[in-house]
Amino acid sequence: MPARLDAALLIAGHGSTVNPDSSAPSLAQAQAIREQEIFREVACCFWKEEPSFRDARLFFDGPEIRAVFVVPNFISEGYFTQTVIPRELELAGRLTTRPNGQLWKYCAPVGNHSAVTDLLLQRAREIAPGVPKSETSLLIVGHGTSLNDQSAVAAKREVEKIAALGRYASVQSAYMEEPPLIADWVSLTTAPNVVVVPFFISDGLHSYEDIPGLLGIEREGDTAAGARAIFQRSPHRLHDRNLYYASALGTAPEFARIILEQVAAFDEAALDLAPIAETVISAHS
Amino acid sequence: MPPPIERVLSDWIASGARGIGQILIAEREGEFTLCHRDDEGRDGLAARNSPNDAVEIAKFDEEGNYRPLKTAPNLRRGWCLELPDISALREALDFFYPGRLAALLAWERNRLHPTPLRETLRRQTGMYRVAAHVTDGEADALVSRFCRSQGGAPGCLRTILWARDETKARPSTRLPLDKFIAPGDQTGRGEQVIPLLCQEACNLLVAEAQRVVKAE
Ligand code: SF4
Repeated sequence: MPARLDAALLIAGHGSTVNPDSSAPSLAQAQAIREQEIFREVACCFWKEEPSFRDARLFFDGPEIRAVFVVPNFISEGYFTQTVIPRELELAGRLTTRPNGQLWKYCAPVGNHSAVTDLLLQRAREIAPGVPKSETSLLIVGHGTSLNDQSAVAAKREVEKIAALGRYASVQSAYMEEPPLIADWVSLTTAPNVVVVPFFISDGLHSYEDIPGLLGIEREGDTAAGARAIFQRSPHRLHDRNLYYASALGTAPEFARIILEQVAAFDEAALDLAPIAETVISAHS
Repeated sequence: MPPPIERVLSDWIASGARGIGQILIAEREGEFTLCHRDDEGRDGLAARNSPNDAVEIAKFDEEGNYRPLKTAPNLRRGWCLELPDISALREALDFFYPGRLAALLAWERNRLHPTPLRETLRRQTGMYRVAAHVTDGEADALVSRFCRSQGGAPGCLRTILWARDETKARPSTRLPLDKFIAPGDQTGRGEQVIPLLCQEACNLLVAEAQRVVKAE
């Protein structure tokens, strides 16, 4: 990506008040992008951590920064991308002009990017190296049920794309809180090998404990290191199957590139839509 | 020309500020060494030298518990961080106390517009919408317990700039007056420090207000 020294990048993540690993992917991707020296500034902000979305309104003070790209580090559109982030950052739509003339460009969430499918496939390959796909069922696990959350829809969309490739014996989405339940993985799958990839941005309680619990994997020790070790112990031999359990999709370093592509996609879409900023607002809102 | 935040930071240090929050900032010929203010002059501190090290130092308290609020007075001790220049210092402080330097810059330029507590609560949607039902009395007790600089649960070293509501009343009558006056040393040592400002109730406080309402 060419340098954009008149622009800043703001990565908006969920964060957590209990899980120290929640903000790690956003911080790591921000650092990776910072090192590429594309933007004048790169910052993160979080709903549940500091700096808050509200704090971020105060960032990027300086006349040299003409544009701020906001990329939600979320797995799908939903309550956070459509309600919370615009409200807290005071965004008027896809394009917002601040009183000082700075343009805030609200990009699509990372999970919307078409490359997510390749990353899912890569995750699945890495966790089960050399295991024939034709003898493997792939399960993509989402949360399900939460408020206006479209992650279940996004997970289904990925399933359809991967199933169409015809590489795996079966591909399916499953959820923690709504059917098809991940707890029913044995009956949901038929192949001797089962690969489970959590469709989340970061590792945390869901990927360390909840999903392993629902799959029937036993925990080792009570420490944080013990929790993380769960991803190193595949395959788990359960119900006469080989179960391969991967860490959350969003921890893949490739997401830094997806963030940059969402920035580029914003400008391309804006060019297609109309040359005038105001028109872009009405086209998106 | 250095970015405005770095200029403001330099000015504060040049005018005698000894630190920020629980962190001591020592300058020597444009290089900076940070340590916990309680570790001043102590030998045997574990030396680090990258601004990124601040992320790990700030993540857990002395007992290994995750610190969801970085301005809580529970920064761990035993480390020192050597930084080559002002921009590394800024980076490190942005990890130790995320967002606070940006708030400081806005404050200095008269561009920080604190949001009254009622407005913050009214803006909430989803599970936090009910937080708006907290009474003034409950909010007073909650802010006093939650935001207190010393002896709070967990407590917080920021100076509160927001009012309770449009009347500009203080959100808590139980906190000392200097909790609301910047710049002050919220650690109680009375030294000259860079203030940590709170321009708006944080999400943790909103979540506590929601809990208070739901417990009724
Ligand atoms: S509301 Fe402000 S002062 Fe109170 S705990 Fe949160 S950040 Fe600290």
